[in-house]
Amino acid sequence: MSKKGYIKRKWDMSLLVTVIFLVCFGLVMVYSTSSYEAAMKFNDSAFYLKKQLIATALGVLVMFFTATINYHVWKRFAIIGYLLTIVCILLVMTPLGIEANGARRWIGVKSFSFQPAELAKLAIIIFFAAFLSKKPNLVNKLGTSITMLFYAGLIALMILVITKNLSSAIIIAGIAYIMMIVASKKSKWYIVVAVALCAIAVGGLLLAGGYRLKRIRVWLEPEAYAQEGGFQTLQALYALGSGGLFGKGLGQSVQKLGFVPEAQNDMVFSIICEELGIFGGIAIIILFAFMIWRFMAIANNAEDLFGTLIVIGIMAHIALQVVLNIAVVTNTIPNTGITLPFISYGGTSTVFIMAEMGLALSVSKGKKIRRQVITDEEA
Amino acid sequence: MLWGSFMGRNNTEIKKKVFIFVIGCFIGTMLLIGRLIYIMVFQSEYYQKLADELHERERNIKAARGEIVDRNGLVLAANRTVCTISVIHSQIEDEKRVIEVLANELGMDREAVEKKVTKISSREKIKSNVDKEIGDRIREYNLAGVKVDEDYKRYYPYGSLASKVMGFTGADNQGIIGLEVQYDEYLMGTDGKILTETDAAGVERENVVEKRIEAIQGDTLVTTIDYNIQEYATQAALKVLEEKQANYVSIIIMNPQNGEIYAMVNVPEFDLNNPYELNYENDITGGEELQNALNRMWRNQCINDTYEPGSTFKIITATAGIETGVVTTNSTFSCPGFKIVEDRRIRCHKVAGHGAETFVQATMNSCNPVFIEVGLRIGKERYFEYLEKLGILSKTGIDLPGEAGTIMHKIENVGDVELATMSFGQSFQITPLQLLRAASAVINGGTLVTPHFAIRTVDVDGNVTNEFQYEAQSGAISKDTSETMKYILEQVVSEGGGIKGQVEGYRIGGKTATSEKLPRGSAKYIASFIGYAPADNPEVIAICIIDEPVGIYYGGTIAAPVISNVYSNILPYLGIERAVTNTEE
Repeated sequence: MSKKGYIKRKWDMSLLVTVIFLVCFGLVMVYSTSSYEAAMKFNDSAFYLKKQLIATALGVLVMFFTATINYHVWKRFAIIGYLLTIVCILLVMTPLGIEANGARRWIGVKSFSFQPAELAKLAIIIFFAAFLSKKPNLVNKLGTSITMLFYAGLIALMILVITKNLSSAIIIAGIAYIMMIVASKKSKWYIVVAVALCAIAVGGLLLAGGYRLKRIRVWLEPEAYAQEGGFQTLQALYALGSGGLFGKGLGQSVQKLGFVPEAQNDMVFSIICEELGIFGGIAIIILFAFMIWRFMAIANNAEDLFGTLIVIGIMAHIALQVVLNIAVVTNTIPNTGITLPFISYGGTSTVFIMAEMGLALSVSKGKKIRRQVITDEEA
Repeated sequence: MLWGSFMGRNNTEIKKKVFIFVIGCFIGTMLLIGRLIYIMVFQSEYYQKLADELHERERNIKAARGEIVDRNGLVLAANRTVCTISVIHSQIEDEKRVIEVLANELGMDREAVEKKVTKISSREKIKSNVDKEIGDRIREYNLAGVKVDEDYKRYYPYGSLASKVMGFTGADNQGIIGLEVQYDEYLMGTDGKILTETDAAGVERENVVEKRIEAIQGDTLVTTIDYNIQEYATQAALKVLEEKQANYVSIIIMNPQNGEIYAMVNVPEFDLNNPYELNYENDITGGEELQNALNRMWRNQCINDTYEPGSTFKIITATAGIETGVVTTNSTFSCPGFKIVEDRRIRCHKVAGHGAETFVQATMNSCNPVFIEVGLRIGKERYFEYLEKLGILSKTGIDLPGEAGTIMHKIENVGDVELATMSFGQSFQITPLQLLRAASAVINGGTLVTPHFAIRTVDVDGNVTNEFQYEAQSGAISKDTSETMKYILEQVVSEGGGIKGQVEGYRIGGKTATSEKLPRGSAKYIASFIGYAPADNPEVIAICIIDEPVGIYYGGTIAAPVISNVYSNILPYLGIERAVTNTEE
């Protein structure tokens, strides 16, 4: 298709390589962290690895699928995706909903299960990208802004109330917020509103007390509140502390032997640090930072605003989860239960993260400047 | 063109914001890296320590108990490997099967096992001191949550030999009676430790380098016991026990010069490997009755029980008499068969009386009236002074627990009648060992020794860790008196009442006794004999006590031959040279 007048580009290879590396590393860590518990619980040390392998294989297929097809296709699915998300979240309340570890967050039948919160993140990214790119100037109007925030807020609220999943709600709100602030010309107002909201949140927290306040106390003094929930955080800190400079070596973590609860989930980073030391931990952080850098490059060189906004949404998603996850593991912020993209165990999140990577790759491949060409192609 | 206008106007602004966001992210990650460095480098030690405390599980390695050996290094108390069976509740998978297997293999009550297995505790001991074969069998079942730990159990290769001296150990390998408890701190050793890493459920991790502090075996206790002498003496005691159907027979064989005890026999002995089984036919089922019976069985009559020594005590009276000068070997007396003291008529054992006799002859005849006379001449103050000097009023200090004290009149309550009875060994009680020690002092030149068993402790590598020192108080009596007494006591054996204590080729000194047990008239007697050799330079002294013999009960008739029998075996063994007979001199 190399016609004269436009530049043919390839996928952003640095992003692809980083993604592949992180996915492989994630599988290794899922096996390392889960094998002991899996062997104890299911008598099969590869129990979690197998499930994660299937999800990853599916994820890789999905990634290449979304990477190959033109991302503009998804514009048509923006509203459908949004509505589908709402339906899925509502389904959690039906008998289709699955409860695990005391939280009802999944829907599915038998061995197939699916977490609507992960779909919601992708749906919000596409929905906002489509909406904001369609009439960019409307965003600057107060009414539109409020409407947009309402759409995002509705999903976030449903995730919070129906699935009791604060962390996903924060991520969804965060993605929407960042996309809005980037697209809008009145960024300052967003910052004012954000600061005001934070103040209200903190104030409300102090007034409400109870469960949330306890979380704060646990955060400040995990040693003193080990029984009240500081246990997991404390165990993560033990893991970090015992890692030291170079770690105990891959597979040598002690903390994963039932001390860090579900080490393959939220706290996987603590085990990475225990096994690979501070250098391993920093290497992973730098890898994520590099990834964010690549997203910026892709966003900046995107063919159009839709592509730019999609990649900004994905960047916001990854950045928020990585920063918040590591902040939780290092007890920098209270424990919220955010997973580490690519590495934490979880089928739905892996598939959707990979779909997002495919989208980003698709945007990176898109052609710049010559819009006509695309119209031609579409026609 | 909508897009065109957009691109030109907004793109740079969006780029700027994205750039700010990315910079924000980078600052965020830098802060997190800083936090990570703080935790993983500067706080590392703190958290590492907490984590180690959480992971490490301490397990004791039981130290092997030190051996007890005889004076020639022969092992009298050793260790045997046994197993301790315990369960870890959280690791049990098939509770039913665990209960079944353990109850079957250990021969325990199902309910008792079930109670322990279902108890929620980190580690519950089911049974200790289980035979190694049973332990191995249980291990072969490979039951999750069942732990078989090897352990040591005391083992006594000679069964009942010197049982009441040796003592035995309890379930935790602690000494219960005898030398085992007396020297517990030396024998018990230092338990080692294994520090292992465990997972959250407390399961020990495999292939983790264990921090191991090795157990240190207890020191070997080298005793004065001579296995051969103990064995000879036991055989002799058993023989007379059977012949005379006696209650018990005790024999102590000691070196009178330093107090080293070669043998201490109390038959019937009990089986040290089964110390909780009575050594006689019984239908005692348990409870307090059994415990009392066991306590009686474990008693060491040589030191735990007191008795009226009777005529053997005349050694003490004679010594005091000669030392105070109230009597000499040539002093002459006349025995009419009784002596009246105050309002009492105290009979001699020879009703017709011994007639005229020297003090030496009176001793050979064991004549009561003469000794009453000597006792009265000494007077109670001086008599008690010599009792004190010869250790009759105090414990011997032997290195065994539970030594009995003397039951003696208060000096202010002693009148002539009391003094008279005391002078031939009645109306008070002492232990056989006290008498033996006093007699030793009499014949060794006046040194009051401390009878003892322990010589030294030696560690596993053969280094001496303790050399035990014992008090020896010299000057209890003068050397001259000692010489005189040796002469008199040799006469007792060569021509007097102790004639059956003779050993061919050896010069033996000694004294017999026959005491009627309280209450008088019960026709229960204690026959005894103290004998030493060689008479002029004693290297060994022995006492034999026969409690409640049936039939003939005279010490000179039944107890003296026992010592004679033992001596004829052990004197050559001890390397004591045969005396040149007088005629050849």
